[in-house]
Amino acid sequence: MTGTEIAILWAAAIATLGVYSILYRENPVSRLLEHIFVGLAAGYLLVTTWTQNLQAKWWAPMVDSGRWYWVFAPVIGLLFYFIYSRRLAWLARLAMGIYFGQAAGVYFREFFPLYSPQIWASFKPLRPIFDAAAPPVSVSLAWWSVVIQNWLFVAVLLTVMSYFIFSVPHEGKAGRALGKSALMGRWFLMIAFGAMFGNTVMARISLFIGRVQFLLQDWLGHYVHWLAQRGM
Amino acid sequence: MADLSANSARPEIGASAPGFWSRLQQIPRYYIYLLLAMVVIWQILFPIFLPITPSATTRGLEEAIRTVPEGKLVLISADWDSSTQAETGPQTAAVIEACLRHHKPFVLMTLAPPMGAKLAHNIASEIAKRYHARYGVDWANWGYKYGTSNVLMAMVKDVPKMVGSDFYGQPVKSLPIMKGVRTVKDIGLVVEVTGLAGMTEMWIGLIQGPQGVPFSAAYTAVMAPGYYPYLDSGQIEGMLVGAKGAAEMEVLIARPGRGMAIMSAQSWAHVLIMLFIIVGNLGYLLARGRERRG
Repeated sequence: MTGTEIAILWAAAIATLGVYSILYRENPVSRLLEHIFVGLAAGYLLVTTWTQNLQAKWWAPMVDSGRWYWVFAPVIGLLFYFIYSRRLAWLARLAMGIYFGQAAGVYFREFFPLYSPQIWASFKPLRPIFDAAAPPVSVSLAWWSVVIQNWLFVAVLLTVMSYFIFSVPHEGKAGRALGKSALMGRWFLMIAFGAMFGNTVMARISLFIGRVQFLLQDWLGHYVHWLAQRGM
Repeated sequence: MADLSANSARPEIGASAPGFWSRLQQIPRYYIYLLLAMVVIWQILFPIFLPITPSATTRGLEEAIRTVPEGKLVLISADWDSSTQAETGPQTAAVIEACLRHHKPFVLMTLAPPMGAKLAHNIASEIAKRYHARYGVDWANWGYKYGTSNVLMAMVKDVPKMVGSDFYGQPVKSLPIMKGVRTVKDIGLVVEVTGLAGMTEMWIGLIQGPQGVPFSAAYTAVMAPGYYPYLDSGQIEGMLVGAKGAAEMEVLIARPGRGMAIMSAQSWAHVLIMLFIIVGNLGYLLARGRERRG
């Protein structure tokens, strides 16, 4: 390892330990490292946006290929800064209008390809029919498996949707039935949230393991290896 | 009038009953952190692997990579950074490994955050060396492309023009791997590796749905449950869930790596957390019963 690599290794180790010191209590070291991390990320974004995007796609064509009129391209973006002027704030709103309009247009374009297949997929056959030309190995077992899954899917879908009907009071015969369905839907939602929380725990543990691996194998491991090489 | 000050909050169950079970409610959190750290360190130093069986979602992704038509690229969108590296790093490595094992050329691209381009590049370079895969021929890195949805819409019409230059700043048109790639339809499979919500929606809404380009994904465990409906509808062909998904992929392609290395510590940490939950709830219920009995 070169001197620079060792310095990077130590910086990463100190940063890892410093950030985890927040587990004990709020302290200036973890706060400082947090600010350094945010600053580094912002600086990295700026440099990468220039080197991998603007330089090749905007600056080079403008300067080298004679497309001088591209100098006007950032003007719309710069209009945002008029937000600080009371008199010319309307110019910033102009830029925001363009930005919102573009975002709304893209979202509208995304919406149907994104959600319509899910709506179609929610219509499940409650009495499935297999393709006679290519039946599964065990027709009866496979059939029951699909039937149970589809009925369960439809029951969960309907009860969970009924939970979100807030405009009908749970009174009277129909209202009470809706209430029972909503209660069941709430239970299903709780099961889903439990699964999500389990996954969240898994994710957080993974991140922790990643850092412990770094500390033990890369940082301390480097010195263990170094000592072993010298027969110590 | 009700006193709404913080001190008047309902007393904790067991707070006034000094028994063993009551004391379980008041263990300082540092002990829990310490125990967890000890288990993780123990398992990293002396791993005891539990069996890993690949799930249907992981099998789906492996099959999607294996069945990419000859001459088409796999596009790995590495939209992650150091904050999720422990999960997304092994996932990216497993997907790259699967591509190289099945002799599928692949390209990397990052839409956000920018650090993903460099981190994924390091992983790809390391794995490519083992397979003697050449940059520009068997794989390439398009780098960080700013503009998310605008980038995807531009890819529909002209991929080389949208990409412009690669990670090293050289024009992508000059790379042999780009031969025959004009529009996004020339891409055989998109694999999104991410810890960011919203990226998949863009890929499906702008590319998978309208253009019919097959799509798969690898998500951090936190966000994966939200994407199961997309699997059910067939919009996502396969999915890796957290580091566990990476380990499953490594089992499928018979190449133990970073995912497997995490899984022993992960499994035993989960066992410990389950014990905490059981003991904590048992203590809560027993202390409550004791209080009720007076």
